[in-house]
Amino acid sequence: MITISILDLLGYRFFQNALLGGVIAAAACAAVGLFLILKKEAMIGDGIAHTAFGGIALGLLLGINPLLTALGVSVLAVFGISYMRRKNVAPSDSAIAVMLALGFSFGLIVISVAGGFNVELFSYLFGSILAIDQADLLVVSLLSVFVLLFLGFFRRELLSMVFDEDDSRVMGIPTNTLSLAFDLLVATTIVLSIKVIGTVLVVALLVLPGLSALQLGLSFRKTILTAVGFSIISTVLGILFSASFDVATSGLIVFIAVLLFLLTLAYKKLQ
Amino acid sequence: MNSMDTQKPAKVEPILELEKVDVERSSDIVIQNANFTIHRGDYVGLVGPNGGGKTTLILSLLNFLPRAKGKIRLFGVDIDKFSAWQKVAYISQTATNFDSKFPLTVRELVSLGRIKKGNVARRFTREDWEAVDDSVAFMGLTEATHKRIGQLSGGQKQRVFVAKALARNPEIIFLDEPIVGVDAATQEKFYKKLSDLNTKRKTTILLVTHDLTSVFCRMSKVLCVNKQVEIAEITSDLDPNTLLKKAYGEHFHFVFHRHECRGVFENDNH
Repeated sequence: MITISILDLLGYRFFQNALLGGVIAAAACAAVGLFLILKKEAMIGDGIAHTAFGGIALGLLLGINPLLTALGVSVLAVFGISYMRRKNVAPSDSAIAVMLALGFSFGLIVISVAGGFNVELFSYLFGSILAIDQADLLVVSLLSVFVLLFLGFFRRELLSMVFDEDDSRVMGIPTNTLSLAFDLLVATTIVLSIKVIGTVLVVALLVLPGLSALQLGLSFRKTILTAVGFSIISTVLGILFSASFDVATSGLIVFIAVLLFLLTLAYKKLQ
Repeated sequence: MNSMDTQKPAKVEPILELEKVDVERSSDIVIQNANFTIHRGDYVGLVGPNGGGKTTLILSLLNFLPRAKGKIRLFGVDIDKFSAWQKVAYISQTATNFDSKFPLTVRELVSLGRIKKGNVARRFTREDWEAVDDSVAFMGLTEATHKRIGQLSGGQKQRVFVAKALARNPEIIFLDEPIVGVDAATQEKFYKKLSDLNTKRKTTILLVTHDLTSVFCRMSKVLCVNKQVEIAEITSDLDPNTLLKKAYGEHFHFVFHRHECRGVFENDNH
């Protein structure tokens, strides 16, 4: 049973903030996520997200905005992974595994040293969009706008690189730089999504909308727009149901995203 | 029309020159002492046994592989200082092995060919889109413009990558023949398109191929590669077997009668 009507909710400032932050982060996630899928590197998203946890713990310990420390640690993780790949220390997936474990264990150590911000930490692990404050909304919006602008400007170069890296190099695209820039963009996207969906489930918002859109067999342009659409639908519905039924937002967002994915699969089968 | 019938202009600009080039891969010499020159407007068939170094040679011409020795000049400029890469297009052997679900239409893929070095993230102009649509039309893909590339036939897949290369009006195309398993007639149509490109747009083409008949019927030069590199102008005096035996070995025999070329390419004038 709906305990609070949606119309009532829309009148509240906290709820408007939640929807605005959710929509803009969802759009950034889906757009970056589609490139990640096409690059076959979805797991770097999960790896960086877990590393970001270490950054959050550090921020809480030092009393700095945890989103900023998470961004710092995620960026370091990207450089770490990139270094291991370039120097052939470890293949990509292993490098990600090492960073994931290192970042997460770092977080655990910081928590045990500080010994007591478990409740707040929980909100970063699983998101707390309904509790987003003005400062966080500003951080999320600025980062999202930056991510979307970057993708808008470099979409062709990125697309070319994920499609055929060798040919892109011949065409004069600086693929190494672009690849690193893209990974940094992934780190940024993950950090801005932490408030919405949390570090544990962020990979779902990166991967599911793009995967669903890919089932439809559309052009690239329509695929990315559809992915963004699916992502926004999942997030908005997730926030609405979560506020109405008092159920975990991130859980609902992921569930709706999976539902949309199943629907696109069914649509494809019926075609 | 056969390329061997065309008269060569008196002075043609050399656009690719190799001097005593050695190329090593994991400390094995794969190409040894390569010396040859390709001129503007040449249509060169690159032949040789598997593992003989054809792809390695192409990659070193793109400066993807370091040379152990020697000099390569592109458009008269030392390759290490060469920067006008927009003049060069490359189609790899694996170009057609893309993920069939990749979300790109023919027009979208071809448009990626318009990306320019040093001017990334620019807005496409009408000129860009005209060049894209021209290239699509030239390769006979207009009807498939809005199709996803994964839905194309094998022959169309070969052509769409040439269209992408053409979109930036390159002066030379390196084409490591894409393996798509198409039938002989489709393959023949593909070579016909490349001939058109060579004669109508004066694009220099360097094509890695196993189809020796097409090379000796259609092209102006043949590069024979098996560690050593031999180049020969294809004229009526050239005995293919003398040349080919150097690369393929003494037991190799290629049955070739020049008069058969007309039969093979009977549709050329239609």
